[in-house]
Amino acid sequence: MKLPYYPGCTLKDRTSQLENTALAAAAKLGVELQEIPNWTCCGAVYPVSETRIMNLVAPIRILKEIGESGADRVVTICDFCYNVLKRANRAILDDDVKRTRVNLFLSDDDRRWAASGRKVGEGEAYDGGVKVLHYLEMLRDQVGFEKMAAAVERPLENLRLAPYYGCNLLRPAQEMNFDDPEDPSIMEDFIGHLGGRVAAFPYRTECCGSFLGISSPAAARRLSHTILASAQKNGADAVVLSCPMCFYNLETKQKELIREFPGFQPIPVFFFTQLLAFALGRDAETLGFEEHYVDPLPLLQERVSA
Amino acid sequence: MRTELSANKVKGDFLAKVVELSGESILACYQCGCCSAGCPVAEEMDLLPNQVIRYVQLGFEDELMKSKTIWLCASCFQCHARCPRGIDISKIMDALRQMALGSGPDRCGPDEISAAELAGAPQQALVTVVRKLGN
Repeated sequence: MKLPYYPGCTLKDRTSQLENTALAAAAKLGVELQEIPNWTCCGAVYPVSETRIMNLVAPIRILKEIGESGADRVVTICDFCYNVLKRANRAILDDDVKRTRVNLFLSDDDRRWAASGRKVGEGEAYDGGVKVLHYLEMLRDQVGFEKMAAAVERPLENLRLAPYYGCNLLRPAQEMNFDDPEDPSIMEDFIGHLGGRVAAFPYRTECCGSFLGISSPAAARRLSHTILASAQKNGADAVVLSCPMCFYNLETKQKELIREFPGFQPIPVFFFTQLLAFALGRDAETLGFEEHYVDPLPLLQERVSA
Repeated sequence: MRTELSANKVKGDFLAKVVELSGESILACYQCGCCSAGCPVAEEMDLLPNQVIRYVQLGFEDELMKSKTIWLCASCFQCHARCPRGIDISKIMDALRQMALGSGPDRCGPDEISAAELAGAPQQALVTVVRKLGN
């Protein structure tokens, strides 16, 4: 199965381990994720202002190109890109004013699509026909968790994992329609099908601080510490997450948490795709742990049979 | 903290401006407080989310433009998820930021980000902070 894939800026550089393991695991499960050519930044945040409709051009241009290439869906791995693209697409479907104006802006675009060479401004108005999927949804719905479980070579039996959802996958629930915003279960299902055990904890849908990690870092550190401490208190060996921003606050910034919160013990954090690739047979040394502050390798070597 | 109600403020056009920018039914709020209860950053805020809504309803433009709160909202949408009237409080925060920024200086633009953050933070963090807290 081949599916168009939109990486977004962060996956190419700061969290390359997320992309590498995601593509490798997908390939092992029979899905070839084909990166769309010459993609541009989605804008990182969904533009909520009712008056700044121009900000929707960035994400909609991406979806328009995918539609014009003949595809009706796109897979993203980055939670932020998923939130932006899905909500922007919803705006096109539900809001006549936004649909008309964004298409009007796009009709002025003289640049050419990389694949076809045609001008962006030519061609049909975009009508919201491209479905935006997150990699987790793709695993559950296109591949199936059962099929994924059947391909597992190293069940994660002795690992207690705390699934951390963050915000962008789940909310606003009316638009994201990804899972129950207060009691989601897709990550627990995912962990279970890889043979792992879930460490349930109450902060799995609380915000990690997001961009406050840069603009109000003390607040972000408090939020991150609360989440991690709760996971540890509830018996987690490690946290599993999907979002590069959450990874920055919950993993990279642990080096600041140990200074600010005496008694805080660092805890390994995995991207869900790293665990997936490992469970499907990839060596632990090739999962990109050199990008981590807290090395998860000792935990894997100790707990999971080779 | 001293707050002064006045008919002039209430009847002014501040509420209408915020409604237009945010697209939200601000007068639907009946101050249940669920938003503030669920807000992860409430601890650092000077005005709680439900107080922000009340201030908008009563036309307290100055107090809101000077608050710390509107710059602390992380846009996590937990308030929207919990609101029994379906109001998106984070969208209202965004509208207030847009008004506060106007055409003036960025609250946190590229110049305000340290070299260490520029080198280490994920791109989405850098773009998000500049878009949310700058023009």
